[in-house]
Amino acid sequence: MNRKSSDTPIEKTTLIGKRVRKPDAPDKATGKTRYINDMVLPQMLIGKILHAGRPHAEIVSIDVSAAEKLPGVHCVLTGKDAEGLRFGFVRDNVALKNRVRCEHDEIAAVAAETEEIADRAMALITVEYRDLPGVFTPEDGREKDAPQIHDDFPDNKSLHFEFRHGDLAAAEAASEIIVDNVFRVHHVTHCCMGTSCAIADFDSNGKLTIWSQTQYPYNYKMDLAPALGMHPGDIRVMQPPVGGAFGSKLDVYPYEPIAALLAKKTGRPVKVMFSREEEFRSSPTRQPAVIHMRTGCTRNGTLTFRSADVLLDNGAYTSWGPTIPVVMMRTTTGHYRVPVVHFNAQAIYTNNPYAGSFRGYGNVQTTYATAQQMDMLAEQLDMDPIDFHLKNAQQSGETTPQQAFLRECALDECLRTAAQASDYSAKHRRYTLAREQQGRYKKGIGLASSIHNAGGAKIHKSDGCGTILKVDDYARVTVITGASEIGQGIDAVINLIVAEELGIPLEHVTIVNDDSDIAPWDVGVHASRTTFIAGNGARRAAVKARQQILNAAARMTEIAAQDLDLRGGFVVREDCGTKVIKLEKLLRRMHFQPEPELVMVTDYYEPNSEPEGADHRSDHSAAYSHAVHVAEITVDTHTGEIRVDRITSAQDVGRVINRMGLEGQIEGGIAIGLGYALSEEMQLEKGMLKNPCFRDYKVLTAPEMPELDLHFIESNCAEGPYGAKGASELPTIVIAPAIANAVYNATGIRFFNPPLTPEKVARAIWDRQQTETGPSADR
Amino acid sequence: MSDVQNYLSPHRLDDAVKAMAGGDTTVLCGGTDLSPQTDSGLREYAGTLMNIRRIEGLSGIDLIDGQIRIGALVTVTGIGNSQLLDELAPVLVEAADQFASDQIRNAASLGGNICNASPAGDMIIPLLVLDAVVELSSWRQGTVHTRQVSLDEFFTAPGKTVRQENELLTAVIFDQPAESFVAHFRKSGPRPALEIATVSVGIGGRLENGSLSGVRVAMGAVAPTPLRARSVEATLEGKTLDAETIRAAAVDAGEQATPIDDVRASAWYRRHLVCVFTEEVLNDVLEN
Repeated sequence: MNRKSSDTPIEKTTLIGKRVRKPDAPDKATGKTRYINDMVLPQMLIGKILHAGRPHAEIVSIDVSAAEKLPGVHCVLTGKDAEGLRFGFVRDNVALKNRVRCEHDEIAAVAAETEEIADRAMALITVEYRDLPGVFTPEDGREKDAPQIHDDFPDNKSLHFEFRHGDLAAAEAASEIIVDNVFRVHHVTHCCMGTSCAIADFDSNGKLTIWSQTQYPYNYKMDLAPALGMHPGDIRVMQPPVGGAFGSKLDVYPYEPIAALLAKKTGRPVKVMFSREEEFRSSPTRQPAVIHMRTGCTRNGTLTFRSADVLLDNGAYTSWGPTIPVVMMRTTTGHYRVPVVHFNAQAIYTNNPYAGSFRGYGNVQTTYATAQQMDMLAEQLDMDPIDFHLKNAQQSGETTPQQAFLRECALDECLRTAAQASDYSAKHRRYTLAREQQGRYKKGIGLASSIHNAGGAKIHKSDGCGTILKVDDYARVTVITGASEIGQGIDAVINLIVAEELGIPLEHVTIVNDDSDIAPWDVGVHASRTTFIAGNGARRAAVKARQQILNAAARMTEIAAQDLDLRGGFVVREDCGTKVIKLEKLLRRMHFQPEPELVMVTDYYEPNSEPEGADHRSDHSAAYSHAVHVAEITVDTHTGEIRVDRITSAQDVGRVINRMGLEGQIEGGIAIGLGYALSEEMQLEKGMLKNPCFRDYKVLTAPEMPELDLHFIESNCAEGPYGAKGASELPTIVIAPAIANAVYNATGIRFFNPPLTPEKVARAIWDRQQTETGPSADR
Repeated sequence: MSDVQNYLSPHRLDDAVKAMAGGDTTVLCGGTDLSPQTDSGLREYAGTLMNIRRIEGLSGIDLIDGQIRIGALVTVTGIGNSQLLDELAPVLVEAADQFASDQIRNAASLGGNICNASPAGDMIIPLLVLDAVVELSSWRQGTVHTRQVSLDEFFTAPGKTVRQENELLTAVIFDQPAESFVAHFRKSGPRPALEIATVSVGIGGRLENGSLSGVRVAMGAVAPTPLRARSVEATLEGKTLDAETIRAAAVDAGEQATPIDDVRASAWYRRHLVCVFTEEVLNDVLEN
């Protein structure tokens, strides 16, 4: 070794804000990753589910005898095998049904040696149904004589939420302008590239191991147990790599207990994996909603009140979908100063597919309404929308009517940055004027903003995350974290944080987070919380390890610990970077001495936030964040096609940790939001899905991605790791209303019902031409 | 559920058509339509599954005696990359460029796109504009027998053609277009790429002194079969392509279309798009 270079002092550098590759990226890009869908266990059987294929019916009889006799079939289960094993948020669901309440209801399940045998067995099951009249809209479900879907939920009423703050009548009376609209947001689904899959296996002591795509492994045990009549402690959850989740794996869905019931009955491992068609029909949706929103302001542009009356299509069972009002009301009551707010939401059971959680969780739906009403008010005031937004934007130090305390609020800066970078005001004026002129192609620009929890959301008893960190004799670090990796990139974030604190290469950090018997508790991947919560946990654990190492180094070198630092795999002097001892050498010395010392630390990080509470008045997140999107579009007024030319995004991210991961999250979030805005829609006809394939369910593809101009606003959150805030949901939340506002700017037409498909846009433009010019003979 | 009893992958045409002589054969080429259709239960496999991909002599694009002959196995990518077609029948290249995705274009064959007989088939519309015929081969009296059918008469219903069970589509043939022949194609769906046509319009003819003659107009996804719109052709034939003629043709095209409502679009929107596209394609033709 060159003596000179080894003596070179090591300068202090930082990884925070750098572009760091996801550790699993090369394997995923080259096809090496073994997803859960690829897994095969010795002796494994294939489980298949017979779905009802009708929305509402009684089962008169079911005959599985021919299927049971087919060679290679190990067992056939029906509703009687799951009787009484109720699960779900309000215990209204059961793995196998005795009555049909939606198209995908699980009627029977088969475990067989091969998929082909299982398919043949399914065809041999005969079921006689007596169809019942169904309920397909929440409005119909509320009718007095509507068919009842659950005996124990009278009037088809599911969850109800209410929040009232201030005197609504007085605020309305004091308002000089009021906008009043009904927005109808639709059914979409997550479209994970890896279809739903579970593998279950029991040992001889009755302990279940389930390989799952879940994004909340610890509460998952609690939710899965009643569907199997088991104790949650007897369930071990393994989490192999998954092909996306986006909120769809934040609950237990029937295929999972079915896999376990089949495994229990056969004594063999059983894998249940959806086909793409099953995935479309049987996996959760985003919660559809009918939102009646009213917002008022005075002539000088000061908001006076906002009210929202929300009706939710619960679908047949209650998963996380109908709990979205918890987030809807935060947006209704926040980000713009609304002194008076009334919010009311009722979920009604229908015979439609049911909704789970989905990135943006209620906020996608609400912001579609709030951001368009802000645009409408600005127009009626004849005010530059930016001035109107800035006048009402909340500031640091304010508290919302729901008692969310905005410690570091950068809405103002997000608005100014996005507007300036896109030249919003000038373009908005220019396109408004151009609207009246001739021409097939119309340009438009639209702005939308929202707020979202960015430091967890305390909707459970704890919002914490456990971390165990060990450093071995070779200075390789293992982080055992409760945080799940579902593609969002917490692996890269934790690697980066630990490498930052311990001065070691990123590749020397290994994360273990795929086994609930090993990793400590975490509430799950949701609410844009993982970088904030698990990042804080990893940092706190790394700081503890760092302190232990520096203290040991201080003892050996007689240099004070505070004068030492860890850089480049060495203990160095803090002031000049001179090497003191190689880190791995120090670790071995610590280990192999008369009083041996291993570096292994634990941490449980609980964010500084209050439980949501029944009255919804709490500072339920440790941080809040804002985003502003400006969409620039071109509308072909003949075909109705919308081309998105450019998106300018300004988002308060607190502080950038992994720049590449953050860019990926924001770009991916925008892609999901654009699909919601423009093309994705589950076409349901009396509860039956008409487009269960990618040919007819239009996810946007790479060529449709617009130019993106991303601005990260760094508000330096005091509670966040290095100042970071959660970031992943806002990009999906604000994009659709930005598009809708841009389409209004281009055409003068408001769209209350996404998606803005070419047909919908062309029809609206054509209809307007008819009313302007009278009926035309030629079409 | 049906089971495939035999799998064949012949290298020679005579072996292939011999195998088809008794019927009960499913022909596989690119599989881009066949496999989703069988997966979803829309279609069942026959007892024999025959992969025709390896048959020699059906993969060329040739100009022979003033006729262009495209082998049935030529992929959509092959059409899109063909120098010969780019020079002599660029409307096919234009349509290939709007066909699904790269992956699907690499697998999908011309013969398959035609035999699938979708009213929305992207290759069919430009071939109708080129007045193509298809060559059907069968085994008869100890030899390969061929017959030609005009593409215009080939389709009978969605997914149905005049091809007999024992016949294999082996080539598409059309006359080399005249120097002055100009044709264009336009299709639409809710997104630019990877799309099944909501509707498509192809128009071609000899453009001389601003007027069209020998006009052929074809429309996709507006009727049970790909449609030759003869009355629109008559509206255009010999006329100067001015705004008035173009408008009249567009209105007529809308009247000729008899589309349906389905998950992809309403009948109203399809008819509306036919008018828009007819106008657009005629303007493209005029500007050529």
